[in-house]
Amino acid sequence: MKAPGYIFAEALRNLIKKRATVLYPYREVEKIHLPDGFRGKIEFDRPKCIGCQMCFRVCPAKAIEIIEDERGKRPIFLIYRCIYCGQCAEVCPTKAITLGKVFENVALRKEELEVR
Amino acid sequence: MIWKILEVLIFPGALFILAMSLFYEWVDRKLYARLQNRVGPHLAGPFGIFQPIADLIKLLSKEDIVPAAADKFLFTFTPIIAPTLILFGCMFLPIAGPSGIISINGDLIILIALMSLFTVIIYLAGEGSNNRLASIGATRAALQLVGYEIPLTLALLCGAISARSLSLRGIVEAQTSYGSWIIAGPQIIGFAIFIVTAQAEMERTPFDIPEAEQEIVAGWSVEYGGRRLALFRLSRDLELFLLSGLGATVFLGGPSGPLIQGLEPFLHTIYFIAKSVVVLVIFTIFRAIFARLRIDQVLSFSWRYLMPLAILLVIITGVVA
Amino acid sequence: MSFEIPIGPQHPIHVEPLMLKLKVEGELIVDVDIDVSYIHRGIEKALELRSYPQGLFLAERICGICNCAHSLCYCLNIEQLLGKEAPPRAKYLRVIVEELSRVHSHLLWLGHYFHTLGFETLFMYFWRDRERVMDMLELMTGNRVTTSYNVIGGVRRDITPEIDSKLRRMIEHLRERMKYYEAAIRSEPSLLGRLQGVGLLKPEDAIRLGTVGPHLRASGVKHDVRLDDPYSGHEEIPFNVITYDTCDCYGRVMVRIGEVFESLDMIAYALDHLPSGEYRLKMPPFFKAPVGESLSRVEAPRGELIHYSISDGGTNPFRYRVRTPTLANLASVAAMLKSRGDYEVYIADVPAILGGIDPCICCTARVIITDEGKKTRRITTLTELERYARERGVRM
Ligand code: SF4
Ligand code: SF4
Repeated sequence: MKAPGYIFAEALRNLIKKRATVLYPYREVEKIHLPDGFRGKIEFDRPKCIGCQMCFRVCPAKAIEIIEDERGKRPIFLIYRCIYCGQCAEVCPTKAITLGKVFENVALRKEELEVR
Repeated sequence: MIWKILEVLIFPGALFILAMSLFYEWVDRKLYARLQNRVGPHLAGPFGIFQPIADLIKLLSKEDIVPAAADKFLFTFTPIIAPTLILFGCMFLPIAGPSGIISINGDLIILIALMSLFTVIIYLAGEGSNNRLASIGATRAALQLVGYEIPLTLALLCGAISARSLSLRGIVEAQTSYGSWIIAGPQIIGFAIFIVTAQAEMERTPFDIPEAEQEIVAGWSVEYGGRRLALFRLSRDLELFLLSGLGATVFLGGPSGPLIQGLEPFLHTIYFIAKSVVVLVIFTIFRAIFARLRIDQVLSFSWRYLMPLAILLVIITGVVA
Repeated sequence: MSFEIPIGPQHPIHVEPLMLKLKVEGELIVDVDIDVSYIHRGIEKALELRSYPQGLFLAERICGICNCAHSLCYCLNIEQLLGKEAPPRAKYLRVIVEELSRVHSHLLWLGHYFHTLGFETLFMYFWRDRERVMDMLELMTGNRVTTSYNVIGGVRRDITPEIDSKLRRMIEHLRERMKYYEAAIRSEPSLLGRLQGVGLLKPEDAIRLGTVGPHLRASGVKHDVRLDDPYSGHEEIPFNVITYDTCDCYGRVMVRIGEVFESLDMIAYALDHLPSGEYRLKMPPFFKAPVGESLSRVEAPRGELIHYSISDGGTNPFRYRVRTPTLANLASVAAMLKSRGDYEVYIADVPAILGGIDPCICCTARVIITDEGKKTRRITTLTELERYARERGVRM
């Protein structure tokens, strides 16, 4: 059955429907719902880390560097290289690493994108 | 004299027409977006009403590039002539009274000729930019003209025949004196043909073949940027205003309607805009619910369906009138 | 008079660099030359430099849209190398995510396809409904696009009752929508005019040119890796292989719409019959694979995807090779784009035909030798390259 303009009725129905889009970067940021388990910017819990360097070894993107601070060896995370795979969080024996819900990782300087 | 100049330049002349055409673009875009369940323009001004102006200003401020291979003369003058032509055409529209700023006998014919001339300008603009994609687009524009021009002319002329006048003023006055619009009666077919062919004239979906983005990038306008593109866009907006105004005038009685003493120009304008926005809304819905046709499909569609329909309409009009 | 027009390497119809040199006479295309070598990313080499678990995340990024298929294919490959098999629950979960990503890929394609035909409204509707699928993927795996769900030896996460019920609701919603779209496409003459009879590819040509996936099935050939070589519990999950024998772009659209229905049914079935038990084998973060080679095949949304690896007993693959479905399908594009006899192809059909194979250009590169002095370009065939390598004592 041919009917030119078949979606006419659907198009008109959309006029009264709520729009499907979100005015995201301008307004309505609160409308963005991230589910639990979202893999975003890394959050690091320094006291839990025991300096075993497992995260450094598994990271596929070489986004982790090991430095030494007053409490021994520890990782720093270079978010600009991170691919949010979650491998480091998975292997960490003390669960010092979690992937948080921050996904707007834009900065003017590299240092702002390092998690220490 | 001074009033005449103000009339031409400000109301209901150039400035008013430009402002309205930008407003019509906004209506078109916003409605199109809402039909697609989107927001549409929303940043500049309330509900994004100033977005077309913002776009225009942005384009005007861009770098002006003339391709080395382009024909300098055509590349410079077609963007200027295009909006001028349509703006001139808009002067014939009876906006603030039963007659336009310019009103002569047979101005409907002049308008039809202007619209065809506009397509010729587009053809020249495309060929003048000396680009392969542009010249394909230009050829398509010219080919498409062959398809839609005759039905468009016939549809408008049948309206004129049933009003027994070739001037827009006469058409409006005929509708006022009959007390009914031309669209009532057999001319509803003419209105339908007008809607379809006007869409082709304005190169909007499903007839946006000459500038099909996905096929030939932007067709005839591919080389134009900056203020030249701004002028072409402006002429598209003006065309939208012209054609929806023309449709409202010929088929929907134009600025006629119940009047109150002393407020005539104001009420006329309101009626005109209300009616032409109705035509505009039909244009927009029409553009939202079809896919783009292929050039051979357009030609066969218009010669197989539109032409016989238009000729039938001429016969009916002749019998009735 | 004929002249050449370039489609690409940057062109509004495809975001990825692909060059089509069309020789046209007026609107008619008489000859075509395809150049895919704009995006060589060296992923296969990079995979050789990463350990098996690390390589997974690189393999997944071969293509963003069919990342599930790539990671699944990689996992199957390495599991085969190790002689292990994922537990049954993991297999079903893999099917759910794989089919979800097939649904999302097909919806994406359908929307984009209508966009290339100038039908913006359907494009918006399809992408709006695709958003539901993306939300489900995000909920299940933690990310919208790059899911990182399959790992060697199983899947990362289990399914919760909440996800289960949301999935079922989404399936219901999407079934309704797809029914509507199917009717819309069947009855819209302006669309049918652009689809029917465009890009004809006879079944024998399709087989000869080595096409795969929905593109092949639209030519009436019943071929589906899920059916021919079940790799993740497909022998238990019932599904139909959708074929169309119209052999044109209309068939390609309809096959994909039919497959969305099938995928939704498969997800529903997998949810109903989810086996209990483990969903992941315990794997150490680093391991060595025994010497050997392995080949795995997966039915990606775009067609048959092949991964092949050789192990020399180390922690990294010795050689890794990926054959993406688009590469297999591109050969047929050249054939479909040439006008011959009363089969006429117009410039306006290029987006329809090229879009019909669902092109995904990344990693579809060939070697081209550009001689700066002579300003010539010539394609190097595999045999030539092999000889070149042999002469210089490099192992291929
Ligand atoms: S999430 Fe992945 S890429 Fe990012 S730091 Fe952890 S292991 Fe590296
Ligand atoms: S794996 Fe965990 S404990 Fe070990 S170094 Fe990394 S963060 Fe610290």
